[in-house]
Amino acid sequence: MKFTATQTEAEAEVVITHEDVDRAHDRVRVSDARARRGFSSKARLLWLLAGPGVLVMLGENDGPSMLAYAATGARFGIGFFLPFVVLTFCMAIVVQEMTVRLGAATHRGHAELIFERFGPFWGWFSMIDLGIGNFLTLITEFIAIRAGLGFFGVPAWAAVLLAFVVLYAALMSHRYWTWERITLAAAIFNLIFIPVALLTHPHWHAVSHAFVTWQPLPGFNKDTLLIVLADIGATVTPWMLFFQQSATVDKGMTTKDIRFGRIDTVLGAALASAAAIATILATAPLFAHQMTADNFQAAEFAQALQPIIGRFGASLFALGMVEAGIVAAITISASSAYAFGEVAHKPHSLNLPMGEGKSFYAVLTLCAAAAAAIVLIPGLPLVYVVLIVNVVAVLAMPPALVFLYMLVNDKEIMGDLVSPPWANVLSGAVVFVLTAAGILFGISIIAPNIFAALGGK
Amino acid sequence: MTKKQPASPPLSDQSWVLSTLEPDQLVKAKKHLIPRRHFKTPELLILWTLRLYLIFMMAVVAYQVWLAAR
Repeated sequence: MKFTATQTEAEAEVVITHEDVDRAHDRVRVSDARARRGFSSKARLLWLLAGPGVLVMLGENDGPSMLAYAATGARFGIGFFLPFVVLTFCMAIVVQEMTVRLGAATHRGHAELIFERFGPFWGWFSMIDLGIGNFLTLITEFIAIRAGLGFFGVPAWAAVLLAFVVLYAALMSHRYWTWERITLAAAIFNLIFIPVALLTHPHWHAVSHAFVTWQPLPGFNKDTLLIVLADIGATVTPWMLFFQQSATVDKGMTTKDIRFGRIDTVLGAALASAAAIATILATAPLFAHQMTADNFQAAEFAQALQPIIGRFGASLFALGMVEAGIVAAITISASSAYAFGEVAHKPHSLNLPMGEGKSFYAVLTLCAAAAAAIVLIPGLPLVYVVLIVNVVAVLAMPPALVFLYMLVNDKEIMGDLVSPPWANVLSGAVVFVLTAAGILFGISIIAPNIFAALGGK
Repeated sequence: MTKKQPASPPLSDQSWVLSTLEPDQLVKAKKHLIPRRHFKTPELLILWTLRLYLIFMMAVVAYQVWLAAR
């Protein structure tokens, strides 16, 4: 319910909502922490302002991403892909930092900005890309949850229902801050892959050698290219742009908070890359034992690892897959709901009471429910969805990044916060790498002979 | 027994909220649209090229899935 105050002429036109009041409460805490001096105040400020960056990075360490890292370790062992994964997270930092600046400077979500600034024609293209990508990814999250809990003998319907209950429980507070903290607490469990990696007793000399020399190099073939695309798609995807910008706005961050937004993004990338590298290390013994893991799903990886790391280690691996799926299902469905609300000019905030945010919560719930229902249909060839979802993400990124590039260099909306030239060079390089990887993928499918010739065969 | 939430914020919240949030952060402010920007020809060329690239690549992905499913 809204009301109009009549205190002063300026205030008379202003309508204050619950969402504004909740956001103002959050801002007061930030202002208090900023007014104080000392290390503990800075640490508190980071605690208050961190969230969207860590969530987006750990959220993207989702079911298909962890499966991509597991497949990387099982197929190629310790080598080129360890530093390559760190490089992909550096790309993610470059891209996501731009969304922090855009959100803090404009106080608008990504979909909203594209629609208003570039018009509905391009806006709808962007939304269709996001909608298809998000829905396919959501399906894979429920597949990961089902497969992970399947390791413990939980039936598919119970696994999907449990995930749905967790997703809904996180929303119940109707406060962005509480939702963010609950999801962050769940996301930290992504680091469960680190003890799993330690249980495999990695060859640390080989690990450090790989980071320094990027070797051994994999052969240039279709399998390698698919893993390259899957690993890139595991770190940079369109939903991340929409989610982090909308979350930055919903959290109420301003231009004064951009520095902490950057720290939040880098912290998230560091945590997520540690989990990704741990997953590669965890499955590297499968490569050493020359086990074929081409069509492995989450549960199969856990089962294959059991003789090496024991039941406890394998259980941790399966739980890691469940966590990856649940956190991503929460963040990706939120990203869809934010985008819908922004485009349809409906209220869109996790600070909304259920009565005021019916369409927002309905979209969020329906997206997750539809994906969950699809996973439960018997006989559907879901394995193909898992295989292509990261590839689709890589292919959809260049158009999304060009919109982001244009918005973040738009002086009319960004003022002095437009990207510096070095940042534009970096983001241009990211677009080039993603487009080149996509074109190579296309050649490998439709003209395999030309692709083989490119590889010197 | 749960504490019932008030239906709307108290009127006294008004000035406090206004002084805490930046004007653009208010929900009401988002009803004002950001002015439209029109693309230059090179920008349109890039956007259409990438759009065609995406459509073509999606067809390639569908073809790959069809091959794998056979």
